[in-house]
Amino acid sequence: MTRRRLLALGGGLALTGGLSACASPLASGLTGSQPNTADVIYWNLFTGGDGANMVLMENAFRKQHPGVTLEATVLGWGNPYYTKLALATASGTPPDVGISHLSRLPLLAAAKLLEPVENTGVTDLGITRDRFTPAAWQKATVDGTVYAVPLDTHPFVLYYNVDLAKKAGLLNAAGDGLKPMKGAHEFVDAVKAMKDAGAKYGAAMSITGDPATAWRYFSMIYRGLAGPVVTDSGTRIDIDTDAMRETFAFMQSLTGPGLMPKSLNGSGANVLFSTGKAGFLFDGEWQIPSYRLVKGLHFNVVPFPALLGPKPVAYADSHALVVPRNANRSPERTANAARFIKSLLDHSATWAQGGHVPAWLPVQRSKAFLDQSPQRNYVQAAFNAQYDPVAWYTGAGSDFQNTVGGTIIEVLAGRLGPRSAVAAMRTDLKRYTTARPPVTMK
Amino acid sequence: MTTVASTRPAHPMAPVHTVGQRPRRSGRRAGVLFSTPFLIIYLLFLVGPLLMGIVLSFFNTTTVKDGLGGWVGVSNYAKVLGDSLFWDAMWHSVLFTLITTPLLVGLALLFAILASRIRRGRVFYRLAFFAPYVVPSSVVALIFLWMYTPEVGLIPKLFSAVGLTAPDFIGSTSGGWTAVILMTLWWTFGFNFVLYTAAIQDVPPDVYEAAAIDGASPWQQIRLITVPLLNPTTSLVLILQILASLKVFDQIYLLLGGGPNQSTRPVIEYIYDTGFTSYRGGYGAAATMVYFVIIVAVSAAWYGLRRLRATGTAARAAA
Amino acid sequence: MNGAKLFNRLCAVCLTLFALIWFVPFAWAIITSLRQDGSITQAPMSPFAGGWSLHAYSFAWHNYPIGYWYLNSLVIAALAVVFTVAFCSMAGFALAFLRFPGRNVVIALVTAGLMLPTEALVLPQFIEYRSLHLLGTYWALVLPSVAAPVSVFIFQAFFKGIPTPLIEAARIDGASWWRVYWTVCMPICRPAVSTVSILTFISSWNAFLWPLLVLNQTKSQTIPVGLSSLVSNTNIQYAEVMASSVLGFLPLIAVFLVFQRRIVQGVATTGIK
Repeated sequence: MTRRRLLALGGGLALTGGLSACASPLASGLTGSQPNTADVIYWNLFTGGDGANMVLMENAFRKQHPGVTLEATVLGWGNPYYTKLALATASGTPPDVGISHLSRLPLLAAAKLLEPVENTGVTDLGITRDRFTPAAWQKATVDGTVYAVPLDTHPFVLYYNVDLAKKAGLLNAAGDGLKPMKGAHEFVDAVKAMKDAGAKYGAAMSITGDPATAWRYFSMIYRGLAGPVVTDSGTRIDIDTDAMRETFAFMQSLTGPGLMPKSLNGSGANVLFSTGKAGFLFDGEWQIPSYRLVKGLHFNVVPFPALLGPKPVAYADSHALVVPRNANRSPERTANAARFIKSLLDHSATWAQGGHVPAWLPVQRSKAFLDQSPQRNYVQAAFNAQYDPVAWYTGAGSDFQNTVGGTIIEVLAGRLGPRSAVAAMRTDLKRYTTARPPVTMK
Repeated sequence: MTTVASTRPAHPMAPVHTVGQRPRRSGRRAGVLFSTPFLIIYLLFLVGPLLMGIVLSFFNTTTVKDGLGGWVGVSNYAKVLGDSLFWDAMWHSVLFTLITTPLLVGLALLFAILASRIRRGRVFYRLAFFAPYVVPSSVVALIFLWMYTPEVGLIPKLFSAVGLTAPDFIGSTSGGWTAVILMTLWWTFGFNFVLYTAAIQDVPPDVYEAAAIDGASPWQQIRLITVPLLNPTTSLVLILQILASLKVFDQIYLLLGGGPNQSTRPVIEYIYDTGFTSYRGGYGAAATMVYFVIIVAVSAAWYGLRRLRATGTAARAAA
Repeated sequence: MNGAKLFNRLCAVCLTLFALIWFVPFAWAIITSLRQDGSITQAPMSPFAGGWSLHAYSFAWHNYPIGYWYLNSLVIAALAVVFTVAFCSMAGFALAFLRFPGRNVVIALVTAGLMLPTEALVLPQFIEYRSLHLLGTYWALVLPSVAAPVSVFIFQAFFKGIPTPLIEAARIDGASWWRVYWTVCMPICRPAVSTVSILTFISSWNAFLWPLLVLNQTKSQTIPVGLSSLVSNTNIQYAEVMASSVLGFLPLIAVFLVFQRRIVQGVATTGIK
């Protein structure tokens, strides 16, 4: 019994079943062809505030292109999403446009799951290198080929309570930012000042059960002193032992003397900062919308100052738009996909409401964005952005972040000293660097 | 997709009823023709994956790209066997089996015996206990996740109604195990219940009558007659339950995602994570084969034991 | 004697109590689905607070392609049933009545198949199906359930119950083996057909891991996989989610109520899992 015969049999069944009304997905299930349930099939991983903003942008596209139908699907954030995207592409039924974190791009690109941007026709719509934040465009390039169109940059930033900062004397003359700070010492002093100004804690961050935040915080500090922790596409551990020890010591200089809680989960951090019991909050800018909803909380957001190294570092990631590879995608579908990507970029001022810095310079420099505060405060962070190291296992929501983040949590909680933590990090990294990469990466 | 054993120990492959003394030519041809469609599907889609798995485990195959990748010898196996996370996952599957098997077998036996003492309403009990079994795992997970929700869920509310604090069902390891086990109990218990009820119905009623005349109390009847007579069923239920529990994936994946921090992740999810999320097809195949051998060893041991016992009984009967 | 009666009464009370507990999750899901999210959070334990409506059902139906999911599940399960019954009954027939070259090999293969935990083989299975270009099609889900040794055994056991003279008579009348199979044996084997159909249908309908890997487009998913995308512990749309799960279990419960005797018998005779 050959597959063709089976298919023919099934086709006959479907027809006699009189199911032609819903023939499209049905037929594709029987024959394995591209399902054409809409002109553009779009997958993303946004829920909450980001999800709502994305829906607004999708509706803007629908309004702008009334003849083009759009089917948008939201999948579970992190590994479930990326697994699904890879499996669908491998099965030959991928979406036309998908979201990817740029930190996840190296593996997707090396596995040949993505269409190079130059083949998607977006260049003809004016989507070119010179109109994007350079760091993001750089990260969208894998081995000389561009595989993704960056939508934003979302750095790890410093939130502060304006009232407490004023009391602590940390505000600048204009009152719209902090006095310039430089170095670990001044930063620790500022946290102390916050605590002395009446806050229960000088600063807070989500620690317990949140390895991703721990990893972002660690990366931001460590990368001021040293390069990525793994190099050669993730096959070599490249730890600067002294820098890492110094990083851990710095982290414990805040949690040790009680300037920061040692163990606190996400909602705990939220409560502390919302109720003015913590002067600073270390978190991603995507939390801005939820703090906006807190009545009576005056807060502002700025990039982190330089801590251990000479220059400030912004640990960041970017959401980007990718076109998963599909040999059967018609030129019309590709053209619609390109139009959709362009439309999302044009409406990325809406996206910036979620706290993100648009990567598309025409919007980043537009009034629609520059009127948004505090978003405009940390545009520079997008240009200083440091991403996850290039490897097949790194990136947003990856096991790597969970494993390494787990060790950093131990340090923050004070259960591991700097010296043994470096050894633990080495062990963690070894698990990944010695594993054979599933695809060859340059 | 199924593991099965016949409840009736009749030999399914007893000598064939051939028509006439010598099979005719047409019978030979028909036999081949009749069994070919099934055989092709069976070889391609049941034996095929097994052979494929053996081959893949020696290569560095990528799950998402065509082609086998490079030959890597036994290094995938060496890595799997040396990976503490694999053994952690293995232990989680075994732990789940160790906790659920006694509960699911013991309670099913108890309830089936209780049900056998009642004349009326058997259909009602069967409906109540077996209905969850026909519901898809994701629906069960949706309902239980809602019942476990802190502050507003039914179960935390019940805990606080009796003055206890509910464990953190989704956020902690012990709470997570409790959540998964309660849900599994509700979902699959009916299956063993039905197997036991069927077996109890096969016990001839005059055995009980004789015992009752001899003055045996209900408890003695159960302990001395029903339970021993159910031994073969118990052995079957036990092995089916062990094999099914070792294959746990749906409940833990859906309810906890293997978390918190991979502390409940079962082996199949380990294979899923390495093979599909990280695209390491060859490595995942090696993990699959190690796990596969363990499961086959368990069921082979059971078949062996049963055969040993059967021949032992036969020998005693002959003597 | 009185003690025994008391004991039996105690059994009944105990069992009924547990049976009622077993209904609670279903009942709770249905009650929640009829309420409104606001009143659920405010008064989770008072089912009548805030009034009842079917709003959550229309929301669920319009927001998730549940209709497509049903259709996919139905088509896949139906195809699986048709092919399983056809192929496995033919093989069972051959094993029961015919002596042919390779028969012992078939028996050995099928018996061994009973012991193989095929769920564990999803990874190599995925790679095999990918190289056959079957991923993303219904066939990827139908074919593995057709390769079910247990169904062959059920059919073979039933066929063996058919008296040999009946078959001999048909053969003497000049009926071909196909006619014997189709017009003599299959009609007698209706109980086997329905047992295999029901068991295949339930296991195909409820399969989770393999469809999760194989069908990826939103509208091409089956009911269990589609609904699994709603599983999230940050979800606060309780009524909508419960309405979706009620839509997910109600048809199955209905089927179960109609066929419960047969389903339970099927399970009891084969011990399928």
